Amino acid sequence: MKNTLKIDRAIHNLTQQQLSEKVHVTRQTINALEKGKFVPSTVLALKIAKVFNKKVEDIFTLEDTD
Amino acid sequence: MKTRYLLPKSFKKIGWILLIIGFVLGIVLLINDFEYPSFEVKVYSIIKGGALFNSDKSHFIKTNIFIEIAIYLITIGGLFVAFSKEKIEDEYIQKIRVESLVWATIVNYILLLIATILLYDFAFLDFMTINMFTVLILFIFKFNLELYKLKNR
Repeated sequence: MKNTLKIDRAIHNLTQQQLSEKVHVTRQTINALEKGKFVPSTVLALKIAKVFNKKVEDIFTLEDTD
Repeated sequence: MKTRYLLPKSFKKIGWILLIIGFVLGIVLLINDFEYPSFEVKVYSIIKGGALFNSDKSHFIKTNIFIEIAIYLITIGGLFVAFSKEKIEDEYIQKIRVESLVWATIVNYILLLIATILLYDFAFLDFMTINMFTVLILFIFKFNLELYKLKNR
């Protein structure tokens, strides 16, 4: 699964720490998400999408290997 | 996402104190063949003497109560340390916790398999005594190692 988290963060001028606080997870979780080490739960994905004012599918996309 | 079966994080400190005291006591007992430190008391055994499945003696037997104390300290201390909440509990930490638990269980049984063919008689019995606690110990080690690696990227 790919995600545009890093880009969205840059657009909204948020650090990993700031984003993590907004969605109530640790900074390490955001880092793990961006590195592709971790697939977020639906709730977390929705929370992130809300912060960036986008649809979940516009941030997280399936890859062929999924 | 809510966490189930986890204790409040205040339990962790108490757990470490209990665990370390129990661990030291346990090692001293092991090295001294459970003879030191010693405090013999009569206790009620639910199984009449002898082995678990063979019995014919009375319900009361004598034991070095320090053995029981050590087991309780290590077990309860270990459980408190292993299963109390982290400062911030989120889904990623829960994932790491589950993976650490699986790892600890597998490694624990690999150790048992190795010990089964290398140790016999009382050496094996001594190992079994330690083996009572290795799942918890291994889990605590692995989980905290992963957390440390995370925080010091």
